[in-house]
Amino acid sequence: MLEVKNLVKKFQSGDSVVTATDDITFTVPDGQFASIVGRSGSGKSTLLSLLGALDKPTSGSIVVGGQDVANMGDHQLISYRGKSIGFVFQNYNLVPSLTALENVMLPMEFAKMPKLERIERAKSLLAEVELEPDQMDRKPGRLSGGQQQRVAIARALANKPKLILADEPTGNLDSATGKMIFDLLHQLSRKENTTIIVVTHDLEIAGKTDRTFKLDDGKLVK
Amino acid sequence: MNPVSRGIRNAFRNGVRTTSIVVILGLSIGLSLTMLVAQKAVENKIQSVKSSIGNTVTIAPAGFNPSSQANNALTTSELDKVKSLAHVSSVTETLAGHQSTTGSSTPSFGRFGDSSSGTDSTTTSLSSPITLNANGPGRFFASGGSSDTGTTTFSLPVSFLGTTDPSSVEGTSVTLKTGRAISGTSDTNDALVSDAMAGKNNLSVGSTFTAYNATLTVAGIFTTSNKSVQGTVVLSLPALQRLSGQTGDVTSAIATADTLDNLSSTTAAITSTLGSSADVTSAQEQADNTVKPLNSVKTVSAFSLVGAVVTGAVIILLTMIMVVRERKREIGVVKAIGGSNLRIISEFMVESLTLAVMGAIIGLFIGVIGGQPVTKMLVNNSTASTNSARTSFQRPDGMGGVFSEKISSDTTDTTAPRSFAGRFGQGVQRNGAVKGLSNIKAQIGWGMLLDGFGAAVLIAVIGSALAAGMISKVRPSTVMRAE
Ligand SMILES: Nc1ncnc2c1ncn2[C@@H]1O[C@H](COP(=O)(O)OP(=O)(O)OP(=O)(O)O)[C@@H](O)[C@H]1O
Ligand SMILES: [Mg+2]
Repeated sequence: MLEVKNLVKKFQSGDSVVTATDDITFTVPDGQFASIVGRSGSGKSTLLSLLGALDKPTSGSIVVGGQDVANMGDHQLISYRGKSIGFVFQNYNLVPSLTALENVMLPMEFAKMPKLERIERAKSLLAEVELEPDQMDRKPGRLSGGQQQRVAIARALANKPKLILADEPTGNLDSATGKMIFDLLHQLSRKENTTIIVVTHDLEIAGKTDRTFKLDDGKLVK
Repeated sequence: MNPVSRGIRNAFRNGVRTTSIVVILGLSIGLSLTMLVAQKAVENKIQSVKSSIGNTVTIAPAGFNPSSQANNALTTSELDKVKSLAHVSSVTETLAGHQSTTGSSTPSFGRFGDSSSGTDSTTTSLSSPITLNANGPGRFFASGGSSDTGTTTFSLPVSFLGTTDPSSVEGTSVTLKTGRAISGTSDTNDALVSDAMAGKNNLSVGSTFTAYNATLTVAGIFTTSNKSVQGTVVLSLPALQRLSGQTGDVTSAIATADTLDNLSSTTAAITSTLGSSADVTSAQEQADNTVKPLNSVKTVSAFSLVGAVVTGAVIILLTMIMVVRERKREIGVVKAIGGSNLRIISEFMVESLTLAVMGAIIGLFIGVIGGQPVTKMLVNNSTASTNSARTSFQRPDGMGGVFSEKISSDTTDTTAPRSFAGRFGQGVQRNGAVKGLSNIKAQIGWGMLLDGFGAAVLIAVIGSALAAGMISKVRPSTVMRAE
């Protein structure tokens, strides 16, 4: 269960203050596939980074599995990001110096999983996202966008997180590939019973999710 | 994959950059090492110059010269006062004398007045093993007899040295070949002669010879490479005092300070004890002159060392800052998927260490190759400018000038004619020490290699410290923003 209460995030930019998320309150039950839609600049990415503890809220609370993310110390935050959250980004954000396999193994290394187990799990995850074995040892620079995003999804699933946060995961892909990636996310989350929150511009995609939140100028309108 | 192997791999991510950084670092570390080598070499040299000069104080009668020799001999009782001074660990007293060879046509040494230290009317049955250059003595006798060109018709007088320390003559220790040592304090007619002297005069242990109208016995035969010592018969001080009729007189004494640090104060104490009756000189001043150019080399190399280390650190610092800025997003990503600051920083540390160690390896080659020539260059440059340190001063020793001799097959190539002045002063020894500066040995030892790697590690750590600060400030939320 994800509970968000009165979440406010303000940014100071020059003299003016931007309220990126303005008093947002909602809950998402475990295993639900939710989407967030809204115009550009409406605060979707900001909300996602607060949920994933990449940034601290100005006020309000985010409770995941009974724990308030806003009150976590540095060590707890690092372990929360590593173990409870899986991120998928619009521009993939793989580590360019590591191979596909090593990218998937990285969060497991941070979670101190034994090496052999890491290799095993990374390989099976990459197989699940349908990456060819010869592509596993390639660095991101030698993979297509769709292939990179599949590696990113495998990496997000590595530590069996409670919550997967995806910020426009299909934004850089053609619609066919985008659909494939979306279906993959959907399917894997069903299988692992993971909560997914996906930000998208694509209303068709949003329509397929269990629930859609609409943001407008930092406020939750639906 | 662990932070170490990732860090090493990251060091090679940008080949061109890695190469240029490693080369520049190598040059700076090489320079540091070269300077370290120069420093060590110079330090060793300073030590050896200081120890070769020793902590001795030379005491000679004041204004000692052939024309006013009447009242200026030192006496044993005066020197007893010196012995009792604090920090004086020993005093060696010597009396020098000469005996012409019986039956030979002797050069007229009395030309400058009867020589101070006992060249008197008596003769010795010995002849000196020292041979003269064909034209050597001619220089001195030209006014006396123009037909004489210094051939073997002349034989040099034999030197006699009465000393309280027969184990050492002219500052060099003598090694007994056969026979026994003699005591420096007991008044016997036992003498030590050099193997050259023994060979020239068919002497063996127990043989007797005459000098000062007395019969002396060879107690021991010693070896020495010092030509002038080869022509010297060593007796105990009281024996020569008695034989030459100079009871209580001493022509020279060498006091030894307990430590080099006490040399100055001891010299001052001796000077005030003996007052105007003696010239008191120590090796201190001359040691200072000798090491002065070395000290300036030390300073130059110390500055260069610091400069090179700082340069290396700055190179690494700038590189790591550049790298961190470049990989800001990557750092954010790693943080977003659960990487801690510590992990990321250690990965970067390994990367900068890898660069520094590669630089150190190149630097070691430069240091090994460049250490010796650079040291030589530095030393030569600075000793050339203070060349006056090389000129030896002549002690007013009575025999100076009178007895200047060029010794054939002299092994040491001192440019000044060897004189008896060098006997009690340490002119020859000093010359050798200063000349040795150009023979300075620069070497790289294991310790220095470790120092080099230590410097590399230091450079890497200092250089990546700021980068570490930047890394910890990277916000994981940067990954949400487009590039
Ligand atoms: N670090 C920041 N500093 C200042 N202002 C920020 C910062 N991050 C976001 N904002 C502002 O907050 C508001 C919300 O930004 P956000 O990135 O969440 O929008 P978004 O809904 O994700 O837009 P898009 O669909 O274009 O990605 C914007 O006005 C943005 O300018
Ligand atoms: Mg966004």
